[in-house]
Amino acid sequence: NGAAFSKLRGSQSGQDSTRWHVVRKFLGLISSHNIPVYLIDPLILGLVDKDIEQIRSSPDGPSPECKYFCAPRDFTTFALLDKTWKHEVGFLRTAEKMGFQWLKIINKDPRLDGLDDLSGMEIPLHYIFKLASHAIHLVVFYERSGNFLWHGPLRLKQHMDRKFVPFRKLHFGRYPGAYEKPELLLVSIDDLKVQIPKNPSSFLEEMSHSRFLECRYREARAFFQLYPDDASLDAVEFRKKAKSLLHLAALTLNNLGVKFWLSSGTCLGWYRQCNVIPHSKDVDLGIFIRDYKADIIPAFQKAGLPLKHKFGKVEDSLELSFQGEDDVKLDIFFFYEEDDHVWNGGTQAKSGKKFKYLFPKFTLCWTEFVELRVHVPCETLQYVEANYGPEWKVPVKTWDWKSSPSNVQDNGVWPIDEWDNVIQIY
Amino acid sequence: MDEWKPSPAGKPHKKRSWYLAWKYKLMNQRALRKLCQTGAVLFLLVTVIVNIKLILDTRRAAYEEEEESAQDYDDEMLNVEVPRHPVNNKKVLDVEVYSSRSKVYVAVDGTTVLEDEAREQGRGIHVIVLNQATGHVMAKRVFDTYSPHEDEAMVLFLNMVARGRILIFTIKDEGSFHLKETAKNVLKSLGSQVAPFLSWRDMWTFVGKKGGEVYGEKHAKSPALSTWGDPVLLKTEVHLTSVEDAECHWPDTELNRRRKRFCSKVEGYGSVCSCKDPTPIEFNPDPLKDNKVFDVPVAVIAGNRPNYLYRMLRSLLSAQGVNPQMITVFIDGYYEEPMDVVELFGLSGIQHTPISIKNARVSQHYKASLTATFNLFPDAKFAVVLEEDLDISVDFFSFLSQSIHLLEEDESLYCISAWNDQGYEHTAEDPSLLYRVETMPGLGWVLRKSLYKDELEPKWPTPEKLWDWDMWMRMPEQRKGRECIIPDISRSYHFGIVGLNMNGYFHEAYFKKHKFNTVPNVQLKNVESLRKDNYETEIHRLLGEAEVLDHSKNPCEDSFVPDTEGRVYVMFIRMEQEADFTTWTQLAKCLHIWDLDVRGNHKGLWRLFRKKNHFLVVGVPASPYSSKKPSSVTPIYMEPPAKEEGAVAVPAAEQT
Repeated sequence: NGAAFSKLRGSQSGQDSTRWHVVRKFLGLISSHNIPVYLIDPLILGLVDKDIEQIRSSPDGPSPECKYFCAPRDFTTFALLDKTWKHEVGFLRTAEKMGFQWLKIINKDPRLDGLDDLSGMEIPLHYIFKLASHAIHLVVFYERSGNFLWHGPLRLKQHMDRKFVPFRKLHFGRYPGAYEKPELLLVSIDDLKVQIPKNPSSFLEEMSHSRFLECRYREARAFFQLYPDDASLDAVEFRKKAKSLLHLAALTLNNLGVKFWLSSGTCLGWYRQCNVIPHSKDVDLGIFIRDYKADIIPAFQKAGLPLKHKFGKVEDSLELSFQGEDDVKLDIFFFYEEDDHVWNGGTQAKSGKKFKYLFPKFTLCWTEFVELRVHVPCETLQYVEANYGPEWKVPVKTWDWKSSPSNVQDNGVWPIDEWDNVIQIY
Repeated sequence: MDEWKPSPAGKPHKKRSWYLAWKYKLMNQRALRKLCQTGAVLFLLVTVIVNIKLILDTRRAAYEEEEESAQDYDDEMLNVEVPRHPVNNKKVLDVEVYSSRSKVYVAVDGTTVLEDEAREQGRGIHVIVLNQATGHVMAKRVFDTYSPHEDEAMVLFLNMVARGRILIFTIKDEGSFHLKETAKNVLKSLGSQVAPFLSWRDMWTFVGKKGGEVYGEKHAKSPALSTWGDPVLLKTEVHLTSVEDAECHWPDTELNRRRKRFCSKVEGYGSVCSCKDPTPIEFNPDPLKDNKVFDVPVAVIAGNRPNYLYRMLRSLLSAQGVNPQMITVFIDGYYEEPMDVVELFGLSGIQHTPISIKNARVSQHYKASLTATFNLFPDAKFAVVLEEDLDISVDFFSFLSQSIHLLEEDESLYCISAWNDQGYEHTAEDPSLLYRVETMPGLGWVLRKSLYKDELEPKWPTPEKLWDWDMWMRMPEQRKGRECIIPDISRSYHFGIVGLNMNGYFHEAYFKKHKFNTVPNVQLKNVESLRKDNYETEIHRLLGEAEVLDHSKNPCEDSFVPDTEGRVYVMFIRMEQEADFTTWTQLAKCLHIWDLDVRGNHKGLWRLFRKKNHFLVVGVPASPYSSKKPSSVTPIYMEPPAKEEGAVAVPAAEQT
């Protein structure tokens, strides 16, 4: 009756039912091979989100009209979790028999990238199934260390048909992306049974900030060729503590819903060597002041990290420092956004002197670091260079936060009557 | 007179094993004891003479070699001058085969497919198998038929090669010393006229089709015991057949497509490539009920021993509860054939470019493999670590499924291992019994992710350290007093004999008689008693019930343990402090169990079986269980032997 229904709808509204047919065929194909896909098409999810209450309440009800799958579009996008299926050739054969033309984009496995000299089989990142004038874009998601899902970029290799579909219009694949593992919901829309993210609006929100940066493993290897890694027991111990402190900090801030990124030495460690710099002695995070919450201090204290000092105030140069295990310190710098730059402040406790560290504007990307999904500035090079100058590639053991950074500026002195508030040391 | 040195390092092992085997058989027959001794002395004498001869020969050989290599050089120049390009549709292959003391090579249509002129290796018969339709090399093997049993391996291999394939043979150095009748007959059946008469240091080359014509054979006899036959070079032509004739016509299925790809590339895997009745490559063993290890990744660590890998994966994929999607094979090096095997079984494989030498390389390969495993399966809390030279018991996953929660919950545990170092045919009895041991047996084990990520990975020995990873893991700095759970009867079997730390003698003495569980679905007994505190209660219960053996008797004698079954006995040995294993080592030696270092102990207690009775050994006074010793009993002390006997500790490959 689906065909009859669509014919009806198609004729009445002048909409194209080709898409609906192709999607139905595709869903038939994947269910015949037991492949659990879910819908991640942002345009459809946007429409679905508006009616989500109704859709949830009547999971089986027939649709009076074709609302979602009949808008004429070049693509409909689905996601597939790699670990839930076997890479079966049979699946593609059936697709061919059903009349689909398909394209598979494979590339090397990023989960092996950080490892010296390992070469695995290339993994499928994207599939495109084309039938008549419509195409299904199937994005393959992989589980990564740090409890998140990753999808790869879509890059065409030389011999590939560049006109197979209008690739530029695809919603996924311009960059690699990182997502939380979604909760799924089985719904019936336009008489098609399909899985969707349980909360489409938060999925769409996530999608807009999903860009993922891989660590620069090759450069990191080159770095270690020049400067062999410190394998001393102290270094091993420090890294272990820094890692667990970062995990604890991430957990605490994520629970509060406060967005943060790796800053200063921790960011440099990620960018330069894909690891914690063993002689850095602390963990540095950045937070935009607009994301500041008063709960931050009590939340860390509750997590077993007492406040060590608090410099500045929310309106100006705020900086918090928490005491981790055995002298490993967690520094949180709050960043203030101006028209053409961002900055964070520093305070010298004994003199009340203020400093200002200037950075070019940046956006945030996801990355994987010490088995954690964290943010880093997407424009990492500019960020690191602003902080450490053009010589950032050379390790420096002595670092003075008041004079060494190349982006430091004097910023006056706190008025003495404010000292009790803006210089708090515990 | 420094020619009169004792025999080179490797030599005594063979002698000892032979002597031991003999001694063992004749032990109880007093009359034969004398004969035995005389025989041993005689054998010793012969060995000494042979060795002296060898030393002399080696010196002469070094001199002869220079002339020989000059000759080789000329041959190569010839090849360069007349380059031959293989043409695709050509129906004839030019084959050149060279055999000499220090170098062998095989060239097919001008392309060198085998060249071995390395010193001190590659001795014996080199065999190459070519595809009769394409001329591609399908297998390359060398059988050191100077050493025992290698001829059997060769026969096995030749029997597995499909009819119609082209076989090329060439000898490097020596290939006849242990080439027995059976092997000679197989070569004869392939059409060789020389094989039955091959003798000491003859040079030989042969090209023929299995079950078909002979393309050529050349032979140079060694004129005297101390010299080699002249190098021989065989040049011949081989006529190719059509691809159709060289392939089987299996039904077109996904599995058979994999099989076809595999069988057109490699040889020597027997019935998997049989046209008529190919052996399955998918096994579908019974699933396990409530399988706790279904989602645990399995890392198979492999080198370039594709036949081993093939045998290993077969047994792994046949084990009940196996989940092929969780298996990753890590191959140390860019070797094609192991990868072919992995693909045959539809598994995923990862290759690892070697970055350092020998043990350190293995160790770096392990690290990369373990890190990759936890990257690929970020949700996993554990990883099963296997090696390519293990057979896996049918209830391997069942064993792990029943015990894995201990590793999760008991922080005093270091690992679960499928291997009992002391579990020999005569010392292991109960498939449902588990132990706690202070050593880390490896050979099929489960690693906790947190242990790896938090402790081992960050300080894993760097390549320049040249450490064995397993030795390193056994060091107190790493193990930190934690223990491993092992079964009484091993769930893995170590079949590898050609490995870095392995040779034939060593394998025979320490691994061959190992017990291996073949019973499916064994229900493990009292698993909860393996937890730290429960285990102490259990041991005290056992010791309370154990009968003290008669300490005036010789513990090495069979009669030390009464002729009963199912009883629990205890003996006390002297053990002055925690690290005093003098008596234990002697006892282990005479019980014919692992004695090269101390394994299988728990607080100065060893548990094994003798004559189907549970047999406990307590080290007094070091063990906390010493209090169970009746005051009337004096702990047994066994003297370490004179130096000569102890010389076996480091096995080394035999060399000519």
